[in-house]
Amino acid sequence: MLGEPKILVVDDELVVIKSAERVLKSEGYQVEGALGGREAIMKLGQDNFDLVFTDLKMPEVDGITLIRWIKKTKPSVGIVIITGYPSQDTIKEALELGIIDYVPKPFTPSVLLDVTERAVEWIKGKAPEEKKVQEEFPPAMEAELERVIREFRQKPGSLIPVLQRAQEIVGYLPPIVQKKISQGLNIPVAEVHSVVSFYSFFTMKPRGDHNIRVCLGTACYVKGIEGVVSKIRDTLKIDVGETTENRKFSLEGVRCLGACGLAPVMVIDQETFGAMTPKKALEIIGRYDAAYVSSASAEQAGELAEKEG
Amino acid sequence: MEKFRANVMLCAGTGCVASGTGKVREALQAELVKRGLQDEIKIVLTGCNGYCAEGPVLSVFPDEIFYQKVTVEEVPKLVEEHFLKGRPYEKLMFREPEKKTAIPLMKDIPFFKHQVLRVLRNKGLIDPEKIEEYIVRDGYQAMAKALTQMTQQDIIKVVKDSGLRGRGGAGFPTGLKWEFASKVQSDIKYMLCNGDEGDPGAFMDRSVMEADPHSVIEGMIIGAKAIGAHHGFIYVRAEYPLAVKRLQLAINQATEMGLLGKNILDTGFDFHLEIYLGAGAFVCGEETALMRSLEGKRGMPRPRPPFPAHKGLWDKPSVLNNVETLAQIAPIILHGSEWYRSLGTEKSSGTKVFALTGAVNNVGLVEVPMGIPLRTIIYDIGGGIRKGRKYKAVQLGGPSGGCIPEHLLDTPVTYEDIVATGAIVGSGGMVVMDDNTCMVGTARFFLEFTADESCGKCTPCRVGTKILLDMLTDITEGKGKEEDIETLQDLGRDIIASSLCGLGQTAPNPVLTTIRYFKEEYESHIRDKWCKAGVCRKLTTFWIDEKMCKGCGACLRACPSKAIIGEKKKPHKIIQEVCVHCRTCYEACKFKSIDILPAGADENTAAAFAAGKGTKEKGDA
Repeated sequence: MLGEPKILVVDDELVVIKSAERVLKSEGYQVEGALGGREAIMKLGQDNFDLVFTDLKMPEVDGITLIRWIKKTKPSVGIVIITGYPSQDTIKEALELGIIDYVPKPFTPSVLLDVTERAVEWIKGKAPEEKKVQEEFPPAMEAELERVIREFRQKPGSLIPVLQRAQEIVGYLPPIVQKKISQGLNIPVAEVHSVVSFYSFFTMKPRGDHNIRVCLGTACYVKGIEGVVSKIRDTLKIDVGETTENRKFSLEGVRCLGACGLAPVMVIDQETFGAMTPKKALEIIGRYDAAYVSSASAEQAGELAEKEG
Repeated sequence: MEKFRANVMLCAGTGCVASGTGKVREALQAELVKRGLQDEIKIVLTGCNGYCAEGPVLSVFPDEIFYQKVTVEEVPKLVEEHFLKGRPYEKLMFREPEKKTAIPLMKDIPFFKHQVLRVLRNKGLIDPEKIEEYIVRDGYQAMAKALTQMTQQDIIKVVKDSGLRGRGGAGFPTGLKWEFASKVQSDIKYMLCNGDEGDPGAFMDRSVMEADPHSVIEGMIIGAKAIGAHHGFIYVRAEYPLAVKRLQLAINQATEMGLLGKNILDTGFDFHLEIYLGAGAFVCGEETALMRSLEGKRGMPRPRPPFPAHKGLWDKPSVLNNVETLAQIAPIILHGSEWYRSLGTEKSSGTKVFALTGAVNNVGLVEVPMGIPLRTIIYDIGGGIRKGRKYKAVQLGGPSGGCIPEHLLDTPVTYEDIVATGAIVGSGGMVVMDDNTCMVGTARFFLEFTADESCGKCTPCRVGTKILLDMLTDITEGKGKEEDIETLQDLGRDIIASSLCGLGQTAPNPVLTTIRYFKEEYESHIRDKWCKAGVCRKLTTFWIDEKMCKGCGACLRACPSKAIIGEKKKPHKIIQEVCVHCRTCYEACKFKSIDILPAGADENTAAAFAAGKGTKEKGDA
C-alpha cells in the first residue's frame, strides 16, 4: 500500500455515500463512492482500492454477491460491511466470506473512523504475505468471540463450550484466542491451554478449506483404512493432522465415526463417504478441487517412475 | 390426522444418509407426485434401522415389505410395481447368498429373525423428530406411571429386580447405583447420560439417540425421580451431529408438551435437561472423568471413593447411565421386572445391542437376548464370514476388550462368560476378523489407540502403554526378541494392577488375549520373521506359485509399483526388489496362486512351502 489508503464506499443511497465520504476525507483518506454493487464491480475493475465499505441490502447486485466477487478476483482488498440489519445470520455469512469488520447503520463519524483505522491496520499487518499464519484475527470475529464469552461468562464449567464456539468462529485456536478466552472467563491461560491440548476436537493449527477426516476405528482398520490414508498422505503430501501448503485440504484421523456398517469411512466437511478404497477416496477428494488433486497425483506418479528408473 | 394408504419408512440414520437417503427421498417424492400418489403414500424418515451395510433401506407399511440398496434409478420401477400395480418389487428385496429366492418380509430375513427388539423397539417405526409418534408407541406412559403411582423406592425396586446392568461396559447393576444416590441427602443432585460413545467399532448409542431420542429422555426422567434429581445433562460426542440435533429437538418438544421442565404432568416434579458436547477424549467414557469434563476441565479420572453417588458433578451426588441402559428403563417400568427377566440369564438379564462389523456378510446393529452363543450372532445373524474366508477371531469390547478364537465361539454372551475368555462385553462392539488379519498387528492397533488416549495421570498407564506399543511395533517390523512375549505379559499385568481407571485397567487386554490364543503368531513374527496373514510389510514376501498361476494378468494390472511381469496365459513372476508388499496382487488373484512367505524368501523357501502346501491339502482331503 502506497500513501494514504484508498477506500470505495458502496451503497444504494447517495446520502450514505456522501456522508461517509465527508467524514473519511476529513481524516485524509482517499474516498470514492459507488451506487450499488454493479458500479462497484466496474470501479474495482478499473482502479486499485485498499478497502471497500459496502451495504448488504442493495437491488440487483447485493452486498454478499459483491463480497464473493471481491474475494474471488481481488482477494487483497479488505472488506467492511455497513448494515442496518446486524442480525446474527447476515453477519455470520459475511464473516464466513472473510470480512474484516462491520459498521451498524446509522453510524456516527467517530464509529466510522474507529472502524476504518482498525481495518487499515489490519490490512497493513496482513500484506504483503497473505498466506502467512495469521497471528491476528479480524475485529468482526473478535466481536463475535466477545459476544460468546459474555453469553457464557456467568455459567460454571463453560470453558469447553466457549472453546467449541471459538473454534467455529475462528477455525482454530491460536494462542491469541486462548488468551482472549482466559481473560474473558477469568480462567488462567495455562488452564485454557491444558484443556485445548487435552481434547482431540480442538486444534491449534489452521485447517484447510476442506477438512478430510478418516475413521481410525476398528471396523475401518479391519477393512483397510490404512491403504486409504497412505494414498491421501502420499498424494496431498501431508501427514495426519496437517494442512496442505495452499490451505485447500487438511487431513485428520478420528476415533470411530460410528458408521461402522460402511467401513472404511471418510468424511469431508460434513459429508460421509462409505466403503472407501484408495482410488475411490482420491476421486472424491478430486471433486472438491480437481485441478490441485490431479496435479498432485501426477507428481506422485512421476516420483514413483523415477524411483523405479 | 390425515390418512394414508401406505407409509414408506425410509431410513435416515448416518449410514443410510451416507449411502444416499437424501436423493432417494427426492426421487421417491417426485415419482409419487408424477403418479398422483402423493396423497395416498406417505414418506417417513426414520432413525437407524441397523442394517447399515445394505443401505439405503426402506420398509413399506402396512405390508411390512423390506427393500434394500434402493437407488434413484430403481425408484420409478419400485413405485410402479409396488404402489400402482400392487405387487412387491422383487429386485430390491433381500436374497440369501446361496439360495436366490427373495425374502419380502423383514421378520423373515435372517439378520432380523433372531433379534428381540427392546432397546431398539421403535427403530424404523417412528419419525424420531416427532414426539407424537413416540407417544403413540406407549411413549412417556412409563414416566407418567413412575411420577404418579410410584415412590422412589418402588422405581428402584423394579429396576433392581429386573437385574438390569449398565450397558456402558462395566455392567454395574443400575438399580443399585440409583439406590446409593437416592439415599444421600443433598440439596442438588444430577442425573447424567453418557452418550460419549468412544469405543471404536461400537455405534449402538448413536443409533438409539438418532432413532429414538425420547426413549433416552424418558429413562432419564424416571431415573431423576428415583434419585431425587432435578437437573440433568446428556454428554454427547461432537462427532455425532445428527444425534445432537435430534436430541435437542426431542428436548424442545418434550418441554413444550410439559413432559420436561417445571411441574411435569402437574405432579410437582421438576426436571431440567441440557445437552453438553464432548470434545473428543476416550477417557471421558469413565464416569469421574466425564464429570470433570462437564465442569469444563481436562477429563481426568480421580480415585474412588468417594463414589459419584456421594460426590460427583460439582461435588454433588450424581448418577451416570449409558444411553442403552436408559432406553431400557421405560419398558421395565411398564411391563415389570419379571417380563424383563424372561430373557437372558440369571446374572445377565434382558437384551443387549451389539454392533456387528468387520469381516461378516451382514453388518449392522443387532439386539439379542443375553446368553445366546457368539456363534449364533456371527453365523446366523451375521451370515458367516465374507467372501467365504475363514474365521479367525472376534474382537469384543473395543480397546478394553479382547480377541476370542474359534474354539470359544460357543461361549454364551453374558458378562461373566465373556470376562472368563479375557475379553469384556464392553459397550458391545463386535468386530469379526478373518484369516487376513494379523493378530500382532491388531494388538498393536489397539495399543496405539490407548497409548494415545491415556490421559497421563497414572504413570503405569501413560508410560506402560507406550512401552507395550513400542515392543509390538518392533515385533511387526522384525525387530522382536525371544523374551518379548514374556515381558509383554508381565508389563501388561503390572499396568492392570496399578492404574486408577478402567482405561489403564483394561488397556493391556488386547495384547494379553492375543498372546493367550494366538501365541504361535507372535512366535512366527519373532523367530521366523514371517507374518502369515501378509499384513506386516517387513515380514512378508509375496510369491507366485507357478503351478497354480493361470497367467490371467489380474495381479499384473492391479500392481501399483509394476513389480509383476509375465506373458498372457503363462505363469507370472514378482520382482522382489521392486515389490512394496502392499498385498494388492494377493487380493486380486482369483486362483489363490500367490503365497505369503517369510521375509527374504527365495526359490528354495518357495519350493519348500509349495511342497508343504500340497501335502497339507492332500491331508485335508
